[in-house]
Amino acid sequence: MKIYHRKEYRLRTGLKIGGDKSRPLCCRSTAIHVNRFCLILLIGLYLCLPSSTLSAVHSQYVQHVEQGFIHLFRGDNSGAISAFEAALALEPHHFEILHYLGMAYAQEEFWNKAVETYQRALETLQTETGGDADETNPQTASFGVKIEVLYSLGVVYFKLDNWNEAVDVLQEVVKFSPGHARGHEVLGKSFVKLRRYSEAVDSLTAALALRPDAAGIYQELGTAYLNLKRYPEAIESFDNAIRFGPPGYAEPHYGLGTAYLRLGDREKSRAALLLFQRLQKEFAEYERLTRLTRSEPENLDGWAGVAKLLMRQKNYGEAIRVFRKCIELAPDNANFYHGLSQAFINLNYPKPAEEAARQALQLAEAAPNSTPPTVLAVLYNTLGSTYAMQGDVQRAINVFRKAIELDGEQPYYHLNLAKLYESLGKPALAQEHYRAYEHYKSTLSEQK
Amino acid sequence: MNTINRHCRNRNEKGHVGVFIFLTVFGTFLLNGNGIWHSEAADTRKVELILVPAGTFTMGSHRRAADEKPAHKVYLDAYYIGKYEVTNAEYHEFWLENGSAKNTPEDFTHLPHIGEWPARAQQLPNYPVVGLSWHAAQAYAKWKGMRLPTEAEWEKAARGYTDRTWPWGNAIEPHANTDADNDGYQNQLAPVGRFPAGKSYYGAMDMAGNVWEWTADWYSDVYYFQSPKQNPKGPDVGSWRVIRGGSWIDTLTRCSTTFRFYLYPSLKNSFVGFRLAKTAAQK
Repeated sequence: MKIYHRKEYRLRTGLKIGGDKSRPLCCRSTAIHVNRFCLILLIGLYLCLPSSTLSAVHSQYVQHVEQGFIHLFRGDNSGAISAFEAALALEPHHFEILHYLGMAYAQEEFWNKAVETYQRALETLQTETGGDADETNPQTASFGVKIEVLYSLGVVYFKLDNWNEAVDVLQEVVKFSPGHARGHEVLGKSFVKLRRYSEAVDSLTAALALRPDAAGIYQELGTAYLNLKRYPEAIESFDNAIRFGPPGYAEPHYGLGTAYLRLGDREKSRAALLLFQRLQKEFAEYERLTRLTRSEPENLDGWAGVAKLLMRQKNYGEAIRVFRKCIELAPDNANFYHGLSQAFINLNYPKPAEEAARQALQLAEAAPNSTPPTVLAVLYNTLGSTYAMQGDVQRAINVFRKAIELDGEQPYYHLNLAKLYESLGKPALAQEHYRAYEHYKSTLSEQK
Repeated sequence: MNTINRHCRNRNEKGHVGVFIFLTVFGTFLLNGNGIWHSEAADTRKVELILVPAGTFTMGSHRRAADEKPAHKVYLDAYYIGKYEVTNAEYHEFWLENGSAKNTPEDFTHLPHIGEWPARAQQLPNYPVVGLSWHAAQAYAKWKGMRLPTEAEWEKAARGYTDRTWPWGNAIEPHANTDADNDGYQNQLAPVGRFPAGKSYYGAMDMAGNVWEWTADWYSDVYYFQSPKQNPKGPDVGSWRVIRGGSWIDTLTRCSTTFRFYLYPSLKNSFVGFRLAKTAAQK
């Protein structure tokens, strides 16, 4: 059995995922033909089973699917993978579940596994519809059904740097669904990678017509215009990327600097490039640390630095992965559990956030001499936030009170408590803590 | 990977540390007292419907997930919406007449609080019917002479004309059956109407939690940028149908009035049900 690794695309050697381009997209590899045969065989066997056995098998299938969704909703992709795999081992012909499984693989960066699963999904769909359904006819039931699987496949091809494959698949997506902004976007990005800039402009402009606030698309569009020597349009696109992008978004400044330089405006070019340099320093630090962790996978300081930068960049999904690595290296360090909890909170996953916050508190309280009360208070505040997010107001109040007992001068603990008392219809208590919040906030400002 | 963790990606734009989450969650609007709602039995077949009057409301949110942006004004003609989610007993009537494999609710033998069909129609008549595909929900609605609500109709019925984070207002309260431990229904479904304090401004029950609800619309993450200002009916094409309201397996955050989610219409899950809607007669 092949063992798949994270980011396996970095290791692959000439592996061509798409197969023979003369065939339809969903029938491109021999493996798929084998899959089709197996599928038919399994369906045949399945139909030969007595009904009581079938029913028991189906019950188990349903149970696994339900578990898969629960894992998925809670951000536990590994759990979802196990559950959906178990379901599909019992009933392999559910294209929807194959799609969800593929998405979970992609989320975990098992790219090749994701491609294989999406292709199985498309193959299953083809078998279900008998391959003769008119997918381009809005009157048919199968119209549109495969758009999202194709899109998911296109994204993974893009991640694997298989841009020609990505273009093929994503062109199908936007053909079926001209309003598919994400399809146009990734298609445009693939064209940029392939240096097909005019086509990139068309796709990215189509994407922006549908999603006019997307900084990343403006950045790509600026790059395409720059390469087409259409500098005024490039400048406008980079300006929009800065306008709609997150704080510290460096790349558009570089694009602006380049465009101004080519237009002969040295002053504006210099200003933009200096700003880019400044913003890039942070990025360089990130690069340095990621290189360090690649060469020294056990370097805890390196991982901790990466995690800190990822949190600053609001890249919480990646931060979770890195905090988990930190915890693997230093399982007794409460800070990493706390960071993990914060990342989950920002992604709106209060359950795992609560678990991590509890773990952090447990570790911190186990070493009272080395944990100052102010740090313990921070941990209680985080735990309280996770309770509040889940609607458990009373437990949240108890925990916030504990935080205030430990560090009564932190204004935001009072603010949290005030909000909760207000929600419980206890205005006097709320007012008391609002006053404390205002008082300590002004004290804090004076100190600063 | 964009689709599955839409929530993750989008939520990156939200609060930074725990404390600020409260500012987001509580929002800026206050409860509107008890609200005034209109309830009338408008259908001869005794489905309890609520009249949502014609008018404009704010759909979507600037403060939450990317697919909830932009917040925009939408005008809807008057319509009726089911006060409750369709129950096992109600669906059973339809099933007796139209019981086909496609219309038969899924069995959940591993979930004793739901169990097998049709036994659960007798044992748990007032529980929301679950385990139905979008197509079966639509077939039932048609049989009743009604339809599924559009996404806009669903949101207006849940949210009222002000910006309520949850149907009852902006306060975090256990007024819905979610995955929290304090709502009285841990890890299980609740009968419909068990959370009277959680009713919406117009009086619809259980619009947060218990079960997600199928809506008529296809899902598109960018639909709000170009949707019609009057009576939007969703994109023309898609792979997924929109579900709304969150469920017994979800956090309260996912049960907000603006939170959008989607499923393949063919799926039959224990956490998805539906309610009915009907266009009100024009004056």
